[in-house]
Amino acid sequence: MEAILVECVQNSLRHFMYRNAIFMCERLCAGFPSEVNLQLLAGCYLHNNQAYCAYHILKGTQMPQSRYLFAISCFRMDLLKEAEAALCNANEPGAEVPNGAAGHYLLGLIYRYTDRKRGSIHHFKQALSIDPLLWSAYEELCALGSAEEAAAVFDEAAAICIHKQYLHNGVAPPNALMSCEDQSLNFARCSTDDVSTKQLKQMVGNNTRDLAGSYHGSTASSQVASQALNGGSAHLSLYNTPSPIATQLSGAAPPLPCRNLLPNGPNLSAFGADSAQRSTVNPTIQAPRRKFVDEGKLRKISGRLFSDSGPRRSTRLAGDAGANASTNATSVSGNGTSNSSKYLGSSKLSAVALRAVTVRKGQSWANENSDEGVRNEVSDDSRSSSTLGNCSCPSGDKRSLDQEGASMPVAGSVLTNTRVLMGTAEVLGLLRLFGEAYRLSCLYRCQDALDVYSRLPHKHYNTGWVLSQVGKAYFELVDYMEADQAFNLARRTTPYSLEGMDIYSTVLYHLKEDMKLSYLAQELIATDRLAPQSWCALGNCYSLQKDHETALKNFQRAVQLDSKFSYAHTLCGHEYVSLEDFEHGIKSYQTALRIDARHYNAWYGLGMVYLRQEKFEFSEHHFRMAFKINPCSSVIMSYLGTALHALKRSEEALMIMEKAILADRKNPVPVYQKANILMSLEKLDKALEVLEELKEYAPQESSVYALMGKIYKSQNMHSQAMLHFGLALDLKPSATDVATIKAAIEKLHVPDEIEESL
Amino acid sequence: MATESSEGEEEGKITGGNLVLALDDDLREMGKKAVWSVSSCKTGNGVSSLRDDNLDTYWQSDGAQPHLVNVQFQKKVRLQMVALYVDFKLDESYTPSKISIRAGDGFHNLKEIKTVELVKPAGWIPISLSGNDPRETFVNTFMLQIAVLSNHLNGRDTHVRQIKVYGPRPNPFPHQPFQFTSTEFITYSCVR
Repeated sequence: MEAILVECVQNSLRHFMYRNAIFMCERLCAGFPSEVNLQLLAGCYLHNNQAYCAYHILKGTQMPQSRYLFAISCFRMDLLKEAEAALCNANEPGAEVPNGAAGHYLLGLIYRYTDRKRGSIHHFKQALSIDPLLWSAYEELCALGSAEEAAAVFDEAAAICIHKQYLHNGVAPPNALMSCEDQSLNFARCSTDDVSTKQLKQMVGNNTRDLAGSYHGSTASSQVASQALNGGSAHLSLYNTPSPIATQLSGAAPPLPCRNLLPNGPNLSAFGADSAQRSTVNPTIQAPRRKFVDEGKLRKISGRLFSDSGPRRSTRLAGDAGANASTNATSVSGNGTSNSSKYLGSSKLSAVALRAVTVRKGQSWANENSDEGVRNEVSDDSRSSSTLGNCSCPSGDKRSLDQEGASMPVAGSVLTNTRVLMGTAEVLGLLRLFGEAYRLSCLYRCQDALDVYSRLPHKHYNTGWVLSQVGKAYFELVDYMEADQAFNLARRTTPYSLEGMDIYSTVLYHLKEDMKLSYLAQELIATDRLAPQSWCALGNCYSLQKDHETALKNFQRAVQLDSKFSYAHTLCGHEYVSLEDFEHGIKSYQTALRIDARHYNAWYGLGMVYLRQEKFEFSEHHFRMAFKINPCSSVIMSYLGTALHALKRSEEALMIMEKAILADRKNPVPVYQKANILMSLEKLDKALEVLEELKEYAPQESSVYALMGKIYKSQNMHSQAMLHFGLALDLKPSATDVATIKAAIEKLHVPDEIEESL
Repeated sequence: MATESSEGEEEGKITGGNLVLALDDDLREMGKKAVWSVSSCKTGNGVSSLRDDNLDTYWQSDGAQPHLVNVQFQKKVRLQMVALYVDFKLDESYTPSKISIRAGDGFHNLKEIKTVELVKPAGWIPISLSGNDPRETFVNTFMLQIAVLSNHLNGRDTHVRQIKVYGPRPNPFPHQPFQFTSTEFITYSCVR
C-alpha cells in the first residue's frame, strides 16, 4: 500500500493537484510513518505555498533532505537563523551541506540577507562549483559585485563538473529521471572525477560476471539509445549504467557472459536519455545487480581513465566521442566496426550477442519497450567497444557497450554521447555570454555589457529578460530614448513579465511621458496586483504629476508586498525627500542599503539629503561611495564635485567635473557646475568661456544665461548682463528665478541711474 | 456716478471665482507644515473643516468681527498666494466680503500686506501676496493672518469652506544658483 500511495502522491504532484497530493500524503504518513514520507509531505506543503506546515512537520529531523526542506520552509517564513542552523550545524563545521549546490545556494541567500557578505560569496561560489548550471548563484555573485569572469566560471572545468554530476547521478540510487545524456556527459567529462573514482572503486569489487548480469538486467529496462555513445560516452555510460539501469530494471537479467554486451547495451541505453523516460517501477532486485555491473564497468573504465594522461581528458574523450558518434550513428544496426579495430572483434561478437540477447531481452522486456533499447544496445555495444579501443577483455566489450548504450533515445529521439557533449558545450557557451553581460552590467560597465548582449543569437536576444537587461543598461548610460525602445520591445515579446518594469517606469518618468507611464502602470497592476514593480510604476506616475503623497503611499505598498525589493525603498526615500521629510527619507535609503549595499541610487539619495542639510562631509562620503560602485555615471561625478566644492576643495571638485564631462559628452550639468565653481573661484573669464560653449549646446536653458548675466554683472559689463538676463527671462524660468533675475536687473539699473543722475 | 466696478482692481475687488484652482507648476501647498487656529468657532464647524479638502464642510465663526484665521510656521517660509473657497449661493450672508491678509513674526507685529473685497464670490478665490516689485514676489514670514473684516449683507458670522496657502517649490537640486528649465538639464540633473 505504501508504494501505491507514494505513486499516487507523486502523480498528483506532477499534475499540480496539490490538495489531492496533500491528502494522500497525510494518509501515507499516518499509515507508514517514516522520515522519507515526511519529506514527501513537506514537499507537498511547500508546493502548495504552506511553508508553515512543512516547518512544523520537519522540525528536528536530521536526514539531509529533510534538513534542506526544513531550511526552505524557514527561509520562506523569514526565519533565517533556523534555516541556517538546519543547513549547516554549528556543532559540525565540516559537515556536508545537504543537497550540495542547492543547499549552498540557499545558504548564500541566507548569509546575504543577514549581512554576511563574505560568507554569502563563499557559498555561492561553492554552489557554482558543484553545479555550474546554477545560474541564480552566478547572478547573486554579480549582484554582490564579486563574480569572476563568465569565461572562467562556465568553462571546461564546469563542463567536467556537469558530467560528473550526471555521472554521479547515474551511480546514485535509482533515479528514473536521470538522463542518459547527463550520464554520458559526465562520463565523457570526468576523467579525474572523484565521483567516478569512487564509483570505479566500487566497481572494482565486483566481478565482471555480476556486472554482466546486472547490466543485462538493468539495460533491459531502459530504452537503449540507438546510437552508441562514443568513447567518452562509453565512460559515461559506465557511470550511467548504475542509475538508469537501476531505475529501469525490468525483469531478471539473463546471465550473460562477459562478452554479452546485451546487459551493457541496455544499460548504456539506459544511460541515454531513456533513463529520464523510464521512470517505471524498478525492480529493486535488479538495482544492486546493476550497481555491480556498473562498478565493474567503472572499474574498467577508471582503469582506462586513470591511465589516460593529460588534463584535457574530456576534450579527448569528447573528440573520441564525436568521432565515434558519427561512425556509430551510421551503424545503428550494431555493427560498430567502424571504430577501433581492437573492439571490432568484440563488437562484432557483442553485436551478435547483443542481437541474441536483444531478442531474448525483447521477449522478457517487451512490455518495457526494451526492444528499441535492445537494438540500441546492440549498436551501442558495437560502438562502445570501438570507442573504448582498449583491451579486448569482456569488460572492454561491456565498456564499449556502455559507450554505445550511453546514447540516449529519448522518446524516439536518440541522443548520443556526442550530442550530449555538444549540448553541454552549447549551453556553456550561451551561459558564458549571458554571464559576462550580466556581470558587466552589474559593474555598471554598460557599454561593454551591451556589446556582449549584442553577440547573443537572435532568438535569445529577443526574449523579455535580455531586452529588459538591455533597457537597464541604456538606462544606466542615461540614454533614455534607447532604453524606452528596448523596454517597449521587451513588453511586446513578454507582456506578462514584470522583471525590470520598475526601471522602465523610471525611464518614462525621466522622459516625462505621463501618458505612457500611466498606461504602463495600469497594465502592470492589471497583470499582477501583488507585484512590487506594478506599485512602483504607479508611484512614479503620481510622482511625475508632483503628487508626492500618493506616490509615497504607492511605494510603501510596494515595500509591504516585498520588503526585500531595494528599489522600492529607494523610491520611498526620494518621495520623502521631495516632501522635505528628511528623517524618514534617510531611514528609507538606509533600509535599501541594508538589503543591497551596491544600490548606488540609495547612496546618491543619502548624499543629496546631506547636501540639502548642508552636512557636506557626509554628503561627500556618500557620493563617493556611489561613485565607487558606479564609476561611469557622470551625474554622480558632478554631484561629488558639487559636494567637494561646498567643502572648499575646489581643485578636486574641478578634476571630478572634468572627468564627468569626459564620461558623458551629452551631459551639460557638469559643464554648468564647472562654470559655477570657476565663478566662485573668481576665474570669471574661464567661466564665461565654458558657459559660451554650453550656450551652443543647450540654447534653451535659462539658467545658463542667468549665470552669464550674473558674471557680467560682477564684471560690471552691464549691457551684456542686461542682455543675458533678458534672454534668461524670455526662457521662462521658475518664479523664484524670475524674482532673482528681476531683482538683479533692478540692481543693475541703480548704478546706471546714479551715473546718469550725476 | 461710480459704476459698479465688478472687476475693480484698484480697490482689490474680486468677483466670481474658479471652480477649480489652477496652479502654476512651481507652487506648492505649504499649509501642512503650519499650525492653524481661529479666533472663534461654532461646535462642529471648527478649524479642521478649513483643512479637510472637503468643500461641503465649513468653518463657522462665533464671535465678534474681525474673524481671524492664524497660520503659524516653525520657520520663516516664502509664501506667494492664498486661496479661499467661499460660495455666496450657499452661504449668502455668511459669505465674507472684506478680507485683510497680515503677516509678521507673531501676534505682536503683524502688518497688513493685502486687502481684497469680494463681490458675490462662488468658488476658489486666489489672492496673490506679491508686491509690485519683483523683489517682493514672495512674503518671507513666520506667520500669516487672514482676517474677515465684514460679510455680505452685513452678516455677523462667516463661513469659509477651505483655505490653502502656497509658496514656491524649492530648487530640487540644492546648491544651484538657478533652477533648470530645459529637458536636457533636468534629465541629467538627477538619479532616481
